[in-house]
Amino acid sequence: MNALPILRRPGNTIATRLVRALACLVLAISLPATVLAQSNAPTIRLFPTTVVEDLKQTSSVAREMETGLQEVIGRLDQQQQLYNESKCDGAESDPGCQRLAKQLGATYLDMLGIMEERLPDMEHTVNNTRLSLEKRLRSELGNKMTSWTLQETLLGSNPDGIAQPAPTMRGRSGMRLSERFRQYYQLVASSSSHNDQSLAVLASDIYLDMDETSELIARTREEIARATLIEQLNQSFGTITPEMMEVVGGVKSILFGDEADYVQVAGPPPGSIEQEYRSPLEN
Amino acid sequence: MKNNLITGTCRSIVLILFGLTLASCASTPPPCYGPQSKNLDTAIHQVQDSLIGGCAANFDLYYDDLLRIAEGDPKAENKRIFSEFLVWSTDEGILSQRQAKDYYNRYFNVKFVSLAGDYNNCTHTCPRRDRIMRNMERELTDKERGLMKVSLDSTGYYRADELYQEVELVLEATCTACAAGR
Repeated sequence: MNALPILRRPGNTIATRLVRALACLVLAISLPATVLAQSNAPTIRLFPTTVVEDLKQTSSVAREMETGLQEVIGRLDQQQQLYNESKCDGAESDPGCQRLAKQLGATYLDMLGIMEERLPDMEHTVNNTRLSLEKRLRSELGNKMTSWTLQETLLGSNPDGIAQPAPTMRGRSGMRLSERFRQYYQLVASSSSHNDQSLAVLASDIYLDMDETSELIARTREEIARATLIEQLNQSFGTITPEMMEVVGGVKSILFGDEADYVQVAGPPPGSIEQEYRSPLEN
Repeated sequence: MKNNLITGTCRSIVLILFGLTLASCASTPPPCYGPQSKNLDTAIHQVQDSLIGGCAANFDLYYDDLLRIAEGDPKAENKRIFSEFLVWSTDEGILSQRQAKDYYNRYFNVKFVSLAGDYNNCTHTCPRRDRIMRNMERELTDKERGLMKVSLDSTGYYRADELYQEVELVLEATCTACAAGR
């Protein structure tokens, strides 16, 4: 009865991480490709056209998957509500409740089907993206830079001032995906983000997520086949398993986020705006 | 004759004792006192006297004492005071130029001294990544002291903290890519 057990803990599941990775992709694609490719005389080239094209393709697959899942989860919500309002809990033998349970199970199978259908494409494009970025990171940051030049790149032209808005994406679960995309887009579309330090962080972020995602997709595909078989058996009995509802809950939190978890901690107090003292000893 | 012998012996003993006394005086290190004042300028003068007086080996201790004293009266100007003290130390030949830079930048600059390196990241930084990150973490603590507690430069400290996180992320990605290419 362990239907897709990897999806059970919304905060730290394969699906959560997978969708987080998809968010990165869509963000990256939200960037006008030309902006990335033609940033002002970049000293490092982390997003050449090939990488941007790979990201674009992966992004469209990710979008389709997200859209498909949102629709089916909406249906699941309605069916679940009807089931509860009909007081079917504890009345599983009632023919009406059995019918509702079967409908719920069928929708659940739809959800698994969408994931199964989309994942092979995802796996292929994610791997392409990962390999493209891997090559660029190794060449531009690994072989062409020392730790000191890397630090200088990350600091950019404003080492003492207020930090640029950093496109740090990893770990930003608990927020509605569309909202995340919007924020990411604003982050990278702002002119201050088109410099090398932001691109280095962005490329690293996307690459690490792609690396995890490749592995997660493979594991998820294995699990889906098993979960589908189990649910098909459940359909014969017309039961709603707690595991099934947990999976649905997990996927919902991934797609729609959990507003309560997104509480911003107050930022640090603004620093002095006086002209900073610069020592002749500074590097 | 006998008296001459006794007188000669006594004279020799006195000479030996005198010589020993001189020798012991020569090997006694000068007393090295740390700064006694709670006023940073006064404390720096006291430290300078001690350093010139042959206590240069205690530089680390004195620097720490001065930072502690400055924490008691934090202000932006402290950066300049420490910089001038370090420049004086190089002028006096107590520190090399490189040492002075390290002392200053470790505490008062956003950039990490721990990231100094002349070779590429794949071959040099990645094999030592854990150690470098530990060193950066320690340096971040020193920057908190120098930038925030001594100089009231919270912006600088927060930038250093963010830089630490960015370096951690970018090095993780870069080193993963380097390892995959082997």
